[in-house]
Amino acid sequence: MRKLITYVFLYFTLSVFSQNCDAYKWEGKLLKYKACIKAKETKSYYQFDRRYHEALDAAIKIDSTYDNAYWAKSISYLKSGDFLSWKPLIDKAVALDPIMHLGYRGWCRYQFFRDYKGAISDIEEFEKITNNEVGYCQNGDYHLLIAKAICYKAIGEKDKAIEIIENYLVKNENESDLFNFYHLGVLYFEKGEYHKALKCFKEQEKNNNTADNQYYIALCYKEVKEYAEYKKSIKQAKTAYKDGYFMHDPYTHQYDKVYLIQIEEELKKSKEI
Amino acid sequence: MNKLLLLVCLLFFFNCKKNSETILKTYPRNIGDISFDVTKDNVDFVPCNGDDKIYQYFNTGDGLDFKGEKYSINNTFKEKYVSVNNNESGLIRVRFIVNCKAQTGRFRILQMDNQYKEKQFDPKITNQLLEITKNLSGWKIKKYHGSEIDYYQYLIFKIEKGQIIEILP
Repeated sequence: MRKLITYVFLYFTLSVFSQNCDAYKWEGKLLKYKACIKAKETKSYYQFDRRYHEALDAAIKIDSTYDNAYWAKSISYLKSGDFLSWKPLIDKAVALDPIMHLGYRGWCRYQFFRDYKGAISDIEEFEKITNNEVGYCQNGDYHLLIAKAICYKAIGEKDKAIEIIENYLVKNENESDLFNFYHLGVLYFEKGEYHKALKCFKEQEKNNNTADNQYYIALCYKEVKEYAEYKKSIKQAKTAYKDGYFMHDPYTHQYDKVYLIQIEEELKKSKEI
Repeated sequence: MNKLLLLVCLLFFFNCKKNSETILKTYPRNIGDISFDVTKDNVDFVPCNGDDKIYQYFNTGDGLDFKGEKYSINNTFKEKYVSVNNNESGLIRVRFIVNCKAQTGRFRILQMDNQYKEKQFDPKITNQLLEITKNLSGWKIKKYHGSEIDYYQYLIFKIEKGQIIEILP
């Protein structure tokens, strides 16, 4: 299932230029319309391909204010970890159309480069210009407010991170998304609030019960000395991992991810109790 | 005659300008391709399927494929990297090729400060990162449509005051 989702996701990201150019024509932006039509030549090529970039360069030559061309060019640099080439391109796209690209840049700064402060700055600026309607990140795994909370946690502001997630859950009627309760649970766990953490992990369990979540459920039970549940949960974590139910992203590791070695080490410890 | 000469010169000037504008930037086959460099690379390392069939590590959907996952890579750097006591911060990327036999080669370094500006870190930092990366053994053989492939992989090191804070991807 995980692979299927990945392939579907990759298919859609391979053909990023599915824009309806006619919109520019209706708005009377004829140069952008022509640039957009030119950029559609990329659809036959992979994002890394020389011809993909040449078509986009030609589109920029038609209209140097065509933001989507800069954005599309930036992607292969992002995915190959070339921060020096990525940044000027995405900056250009943001400068030309911040509504379209600022939230995306914030997400990428977090996901690909762990530039937490830069991501916070972009997402907060994006909140201002969108009247707090920032929406979801590029891969759909997180609402950008949850991504912002993770960034605050990463720079040591755990209380602020908790506050952001709690507020989000209240305003969005406990929307679990893929990992909201999980990250909140890890935050409470790291603060030593094990009962609150366990409550979050149990909420997470209802929707997306990964091995990572089971691992933390086990750790909570261990801390509150409920050893039978601890042993049961850590075994379930290993089973879930072996069955392929764990946090996964084809590009980078996800924050708070738990690895199989950690689960196996905990399983060994559980046998000594 | 002078006017004619001036006209010819102007036409020549505009023609050159037009041509220079239409010349597109030249790219490698794929963005980020690393060609063999006799001054840097081990001649014994060869991509199994040729230079024009090298994938990216994420093309198979499995992401970073290493024995013991990234946890193991993190531990290796924790054990072997000796923190350099200075004020240098930013990102360092080491990119390379993993071939179909899980051998690695063609290592290249890219560096930036925290403002995404190019930077040269102290070689005591970069040399260590390069050597430890070169000596990592545990890269898995990736398959695509049933065939063993060569692929580009990178590690990005987030450095704060000479210490490794995180490793990506």
